Amino acid sequence: MIGEELIRLAGVSASSEQDYATRGYHGEHEAAPEAMPEVAALFRDAGYHLENLTCLDQRAVEEMGHFSIVYQFGRYDELDRQVVRAKLTDDRPATSIANVFPGADWYEREVFDMHGVGVEGHPDLKRILMPLDYVGHPLRKDFVDQDTLRYQLSGVVLEEEVEEEAAGDE
Amino acid sequence: MTTATPTMELVPEDEDRETYILNMGPQHPSTHGVLRLRLHLEGERILECDPVIGYAHRAHEKMAENRDYLQFLPNTSRLDYLSGMIYNLGYCQAIEKAMQIEVPERAEYIRIVVGELNRISSHLLWMGTYLLDLGGITPFLYGFDDREKILDLLDYVTGSRLTYSYGRFGGVTMDVDEVFLRNVADFCDHFRGRLEEIHKLVTGNVIFRHRTRGVGVMGADLGLSYGVTGPCLRAAGVARDVRKDEPYGIYDRFEFEVPTEVEGDCFGRHMVRMSEMEQSIGLVEQAMRDIPDGPIMAAKVPKRIRPPAGDHYFAVESARGHFGIYIHSDGSDVPLRLKLRTPSFVSVSTMPVVLPGTLLADTVAILGSIDIIISEIDR
Repeated sequence: MIGEELIRLAGVSASSEQDYATRGYHGEHEAAPEAMPEVAALFRDAGYHLENLTCLDQRAVEEMGHFSIVYQFGRYDELDRQVVRAKLTDDRPATSIANVFPGADWYEREVFDMHGVGVEGHPDLKRILMPLDYVGHPLRKDFVDQDTLRYQLSGVVLEEEVEEEAAGDE
Repeated sequence: MTTATPTMELVPEDEDRETYILNMGPQHPSTHGVLRLRLHLEGERILECDPVIGYAHRAHEKMAENRDYLQFLPNTSRLDYLSGMIYNLGYCQAIEKAMQIEVPERAEYIRIVVGELNRISSHLLWMGTYLLDLGGITPFLYGFDDREKILDLLDYVTGSRLTYSYGRFGGVTMDVDEVFLRNVADFCDHFRGRLEEIHKLVTGNVIFRHRTRGVGVMGADLGLSYGVTGPCLRAAGVARDVRKDEPYGIYDRFEFEVPTEVEGDCFGRHMVRMSEMEQSIGLVEQAMRDIPDGPIMAAKVPKRIRPPAGDHYFAVESARGHFGIYIHSDGSDVPLRLKLRTPSFVSVSTMPVVLPGTLLADTVAILGSIDIIISEIDR
């Protein structure tokens, strides 16, 4: 079992089995962000491939208050899907696993683009879906669209502007 | 304002070598949408390739966080407009699995029929446009002729041609009737013959073979390390298909093969897709033979869709590979995060490795052969 091997690694704090029939996962694990290259290498050597990588904005969630990166590994010779969560804090940023799984390169760029989460050790961390000169990170929960040009072009008047004008009239 | 990018810029690196950067796209007929490739060239040979994506970003994942699960349903068939049915039904199945909703037998069989028909229509369009990229116009007409027949069939039962939104949590919206089933049976008979014709027209063509054999090789190692799935991986000899490995719906009741090739080149990807269409026809025929009578919607579907808190993952095999839906629910009406793991995104991310060393003229052949849909990459 990969869980037993994982738990021997420094930085992996918890592993538990999940109900595949309802969750779609066979097991989940908690790991420190800086331990991720090591964890990913363990998965790679055991015959897994990177299936998915994403980020959760749990800053507003009670008892959480942080971003976490969700790594998902699957394998082909048997049906097995494992998920590893890395909790990020200010002094513990995400670490890139792009040198273990080259496919993680674009996923990590997407995480940076959408959530504004820096990934240490990434070969070329830049925006991927939004324009390079875009301001803001859309998938943050506190995201406010600052692209006023779009409103100007579409002729939509923002609520704030209406309020400002009303205040000016008085 | 964004500054305009020059289409071509010279890079004075070395006195002997003249290299330059060429922007292919985003408005280019052979990039199948708005993909931009920043190609670093020496003469006609590609030194580096940097794909620039995001031109068709429509914030599907942000939309999902701002509406409830049912309201997100129409978005799913707009992710990949060529096999929208598979994405749409995949999302329904993801929610059904998380909510433990039982789907009636008849609905399950209908899903197989429409899903596989949609897969054939997607592969047919790919075949037509790919050959058009390579300079052959006739196969395009053949491909679109049969694709149109499928779209008419699906239009008859779903009411739309591309963006179906046919699935619902617990079943499908409309029942199929005898006319539909008879027409599908007729189509299957007709299409088997047509596949042979296409093989004669395309596969045996000497120009086509010269342009695709040994071009754009994406080996099994490269595919596995990047997480490439679908026909691109199967063309490299890895017989992996979500329908077989992790049967969803009722795929475990059907007999079908996972076609593979060995070389992993453009020709291999063509052959895999051609064989897949044959397998899909077999699946449609088996489903039509066994389709039972009965309801098409589950009797008890919860009014409020609230998946249990935590992670949920569900994968289906789309026409392009492993399409995964990751839902992180906090137990409320809206997901905290809904991530769509799309196969073309991964396939295109291999381009910086696959393209260098090839000729500019082959870029079109390679890019076309991986069957990208930009709206699915950019989401």
